[in-house]
Amino acid sequence: METVLNVAVAGLLLGGIFALISVGLSLQYGVARVLNVAHGEFIMIGAFVTWVLYTEFGINPLLCMVIVGPAIFVIGFILYRTMFNYIRIKAPSPDAFEGNSILAAFGLLFVIQYIALTLWGSNIHGYTYLAFPIHLGTVTIAANRLVTLGFAVGISFVFYIFLARTRLGKAIRSAAQDPATASLMGVNIKRVLAICFGLGALMAGIAGVLLSMTYPVNANMGLHYTIIAIIVVVLGGMGSIVGSFIGGFILGIVGSIVSYFDPGLALVAYYAIFILLLLVRPKGIMGK
Amino acid sequence: MLKVSKVNTFYDKAQALWDVSLNIDEAEIVALIGANGAGKTTLLNTISGLLRPASGSIEFMGQRIDGLPPHNIVDMGLSHIPEGRRLFTDMSVHENLEMGAYPSRAWKGRQETLERVYQSFPMLKERAGQLARTLSGGEQQMLAMGRGLMPKPKLCMFDEPSFGLAPMLVLEVFQVIQSLREQGITILLIEQNVRRTLEIADRAYVLENGRIVLEGSCKQLLQEDLVKKAYLGL
Repeated sequence: METVLNVAVAGLLLGGIFALISVGLSLQYGVARVLNVAHGEFIMIGAFVTWVLYTEFGINPLLCMVIVGPAIFVIGFILYRTMFNYIRIKAPSPDAFEGNSILAAFGLLFVIQYIALTLWGSNIHGYTYLAFPIHLGTVTIAANRLVTLGFAVGISFVFYIFLARTRLGKAIRSAAQDPATASLMGVNIKRVLAICFGLGALMAGIAGVLLSMTYPVNANMGLHYTIIAIIVVVLGGMGSIVGSFIGGFILGIVGSIVSYFDPGLALVAYYAIFILLLLVRPKGIMGK
Repeated sequence: MLKVSKVNTFYDKAQALWDVSLNIDEAEIVALIGANGAGKTTLLNTISGLLRPASGSIEFMGQRIDGLPPHNIVDMGLSHIPEGRRLFTDMSVHENLEMGAYPSRAWKGRQETLERVYQSFPMLKERAGQLARTLSGGEQQMLAMGRGLMPKPKLCMFDEPSFGLAPMLVLEVFQVIQSLREQGITILLIEQNVRRTLEIADRAYVLENGRIVLEGSCKQLLQEDLVKKAYLGL
């Protein structure tokens, strides 16, 4: 019983992070139509910057979210307004844009990764922060993991409310459904798409900040999370924010169960789910 | 109010509009008639900024609007109610109407505008919380029209608003359009229902193969052989 509880809690903790990074990617893919294979690199930037700020300057990692988030939003916004928007305008069709933007995102992946390798080398880094145990009944959790879960769920929730209630949130949803008609309503499409891409990057960056409190930081860490995020986005249903959130937790719990038997098999299990999904229900949990 | 001069529009290399010129005065109802593929929708898309004309000019209320993006044009008070309704089907009726009031000029007073739209279309108020896709065809068209009124337009362009509707609803659509004119809104109308359109419109333009081939008051056009044969089936 205790093992079951421990595995379940570990799954939730992992799922929270997966949910956060996947909601970010879902926004970039569902609205801005960029399957951003460099998504994990923004996670890596967030993690690295936090590591530097904490170990060099003693800045509280939780405070780093406030620094890293907006900075990465601006980077994402500018990237879309320059590179991706240029590709979008030049593309003869939306499908062509999707293809070309994946290639551009691959380029971005390598550029960011090599900048990180040059700046910080290929060593694995890490630090300890809030690493004391918290006892909840029979289950023991490291405080930093609990904080991570709390922020991941909280940020996803705030983001959901933002999409559901605010003027900009509604503009984003309308642009996701029908960009041309949204522009007839007065939505500045170029701006809204860039904001979506920036917000996706922001969530990746914040996920990176949170990850760095519990996981090792390394210049090559990004791709692993990109793959997970892509699997979760497909699992949840393309473009469905809620689906990505639920999918993140499903994958986290599966990962935690499989890791209990053999940690090396977690990634195999993710791929197995991915293939099974494509065969059985390609539109995902919440897909239409 | 709207002045289109010698506009040429292309899809890639295929020319869809050839030297199209058109004028609309304030509080007029002007109809645009022509067969499928004649370029009617292309012309509306060019006016509202979805398409960019290769040459020619478009003036709205004395200002050049050709080359402006659509969101700037609707902001000036030119509302385009597109072909096929194009509702945000995953959003509620209320949210669709709110999106109509997106331009900042209209956003502040959206509550009042909403009340007025609900007065014109009481059914929308009853269905405010429903997803747009759950509405019937007629209700969807009313929503599309209501949404098109939310930006407080001075000029409304309707692209086949009665398409696919039952005869009763077609009548209602035409009544709404007439009542808009009484409220001082200028109208550019594309319609399949040529006879009825020529009855409520002041003037009309006939578009064929991307060119304006006829223009004049509706009374005149009803007497033209071309119109009688091609569009009224006489």
